[in-house]
Amino acid sequence: MILHLDMDAFYAAVEQREHPELRGRCLIVGGSARRGVVTTASYEARRYGVRSAMPMFQALELCPGAIVMAPRMALYKEVSRRIMSILEEFSPLVEPVSIDEAYIDATGSERLFGPPAAMGAAIKARIRSEVHLTCSLGAAPVRFLAKIASEMQKPDGLTVIEPGAVPGVIAALPIRKVPGVGPRTLESLAALGVHCLGDVRRLPGALLERRLGKFGHRLAALAVGVDPTPVRPGAAAKSVSSEETLAADSTDRRLLGRCLLRHAEEVARHLRRNACRARTVTLKIKHADFRLANRSTTLSRPSQSSAVLFQAADHLLQAYVLEPPVRLIGLGASNLVRQDAAVQMDLFDAGGSDGDGWSRVDRVLDDIAGRYGAGVIRRASLADED
Amino acid sequence: MKLTVKKPDILDVLSKVQGLAGRRTNLAITTNVLIRAEGSEIILTATDLETGFEGAYPAQVAREGAVAINAKKLFEIIREFPTDEISLNEIENQWIEIGNGNVEYHIMGMNPEEFPASPKVEEVAFIDVDSTALGRMIDQTVIVAGGGDDRRAHITGVLMEMLSDASGPIFRMVSTDGSRLTTVNHELPQGFVVPEGPGVIVPKKGLSEVGRFLENTGSVGIGFKSNNFIVKKANETIIVRLLEGEFPQYSDIIKKSENSVPVVLEKGLFLKTLRRMSILSSDNYKGVIFKFEPGLLEVRANNPELGESKENLPVEYNGETMEIAFNPRYFMETLTVVEGEKIRLNLVDADKPCLIEGENSQTFLCIIMPMRI
Repeated sequence: MILHLDMDAFYAAVEQREHPELRGRCLIVGGSARRGVVTTASYEARRYGVRSAMPMFQALELCPGAIVMAPRMALYKEVSRRIMSILEEFSPLVEPVSIDEAYIDATGSERLFGPPAAMGAAIKARIRSEVHLTCSLGAAPVRFLAKIASEMQKPDGLTVIEPGAVPGVIAALPIRKVPGVGPRTLESLAALGVHCLGDVRRLPGALLERRLGKFGHRLAALAVGVDPTPVRPGAAAKSVSSEETLAADSTDRRLLGRCLLRHAEEVARHLRRNACRARTVTLKIKHADFRLANRSTTLSRPSQSSAVLFQAADHLLQAYVLEPPVRLIGLGASNLVRQDAAVQMDLFDAGGSDGDGWSRVDRVLDDIAGRYGAGVIRRASLADED
Repeated sequence: MKLTVKKPDILDVLSKVQGLAGRRTNLAITTNVLIRAEGSEIILTATDLETGFEGAYPAQVAREGAVAINAKKLFEIIREFPTDEISLNEIENQWIEIGNGNVEYHIMGMNPEEFPASPKVEEVAFIDVDSTALGRMIDQTVIVAGGGDDRRAHITGVLMEMLSDASGPIFRMVSTDGSRLTTVNHELPQGFVVPEGPGVIVPKKGLSEVGRFLENTGSVGIGFKSNNFIVKKANETIIVRLLEGEFPQYSDIIKKSENSVPVVLEKGLFLKTLRRMSILSSDNYKGVIFKFEPGLLEVRANNPELGESKENLPVEYNGETMEIAFNPRYFMETLTVVEGEKIRLNLVDADKPCLIEGENSQTFLCIIMPMRI
């Protein structure tokens, strides 16, 4: 059996946990003021129709009394790590798919924790008592149904689709709920008279493949309850990035530089935590006209140092024409290499270490942040921000 | 334009210009070869806008003129042509007939006027160099190539300079990718006056093209004139535009350290060991560890993604035991171009470059930076 865990209104729930006075109230976590979009809305706000990815002004029209908070990613990531480590006590096969979502392969864990319903209840109890948050869990014999099961009862739900129940669930499952079915596919399928996943069984495989390509093949398999996608623990990230939409469009290189420094720290910390070094640094900019631009540079030697990543990105920024003004800025690191792999040394700058000694500063900062929380210590150039 | 040419006279050169014509440029016509009929010659020109080639071959010219034809198609037609005699005839405006009366092609050419003009190379002071020796120098240096996205001149190009050392005047080529560096010397005749001024940087791509045109016998003239490197044979000329940039100071790097200890190994055996040890290298784990002990070299690869391998190799070494990590590819590439049966490594420690030379060769030197574990 495969379990799927989905935290309930994760960011909003974390904020309500941190601020007891917000409990039971409409809370929206999202982009600054009226420019941004809703990242997460508490269940109280959802009752008014507020949804994720909705423009903030629209959300506030629906729910004028809502309290809006800017996301605190560092905090959520810490909570997420805590949750993932709880999951890892139940099975070695845990695959986090996002900050608040993970698959758990429970095969073989049943001897220790009992049937999926008992194991699911135990996971929920641990998360409730240790992290003080609720989640929704789904369990099913295959991966895609586990996700569908976790959506069946939200919030705080636990749904098990037993193997015997699979054909019935598939027969009645609305096709739009199947992962990978978007508006285009939905349209093609509706033309074929498909409204539930079970309907797909009536169609010949060749027709599906002609209409939907490779996905047709997968859909035919899903329709008979087959999903070969395994749960892959620690599917190593290929890139790491961090970005933000600014409170106001800007051409101020110093301000943008400070943003980059913050994101460089975030990205570098992630690299260090995952024992990786990046060879390529990318500056991402979205202009006020929503035009996206990426500028990349290759480091002479892979790095996980905040200072090195920042310098590379800032160099790209200084050479970049900020016209029209910048709406969003971010920093990405890719071409990752494992930290335990040997690093080729350079002929022409013999002796220089990774970030000229900054690696020790990074280590100390990581230790302090690990013990007292991110944000208690930061660079002086970022001191006047909150 | 109308001429008759013998297939053996132009087949080889058409094959050699495919590299130049095949490279993408911002001018569509550079996929063509320019053909001119003048006097009793067919003159072929190809360029990638950085490197230009021009060669003259015997032909029976009935009507002088010029056409530009797609280089790849022309080569394929000539290669498959059944007879030796081939006639090229511009019937009307850029409409070219290629045939022998039995086989017949009609090809649309491009306007020869649009073909970029070759730089003028007059009054060049050519130095005669043995063709084989120049070819070997090119092979030995262009193999040290940087990553495709590194645009720095000293990585994409080879430094060429003339200087005087203990043995007399020499012509030297230096190539680096940032992690290793190779120098190859060629002795110039005693009494040659070494010109003043710094060296020049010639793109490795262009140099590889030059390599294709060098024969195994005879000599060629090399010269430098107004930002071009020029190689001249009796009937063929290649002009490579120099790169602008500075080559890093490398004289300290190639100086043999007083603390260095020599290791002498059998080249062929070492190469085979390295091939075996690099089987377990991957993008993430490229390094292998060389452990030098008196009389013995242990090479081992440890790749957490795949597994590990180990091999011992007898060597002439009597220094202290030391471990150094290297990218084995760098050694393998060096070993394929160094001459002689035995090679000598000069080691200092795990952070210092390793210097490689043929045991009896004075002309070739390669410096490889270790990897940090």
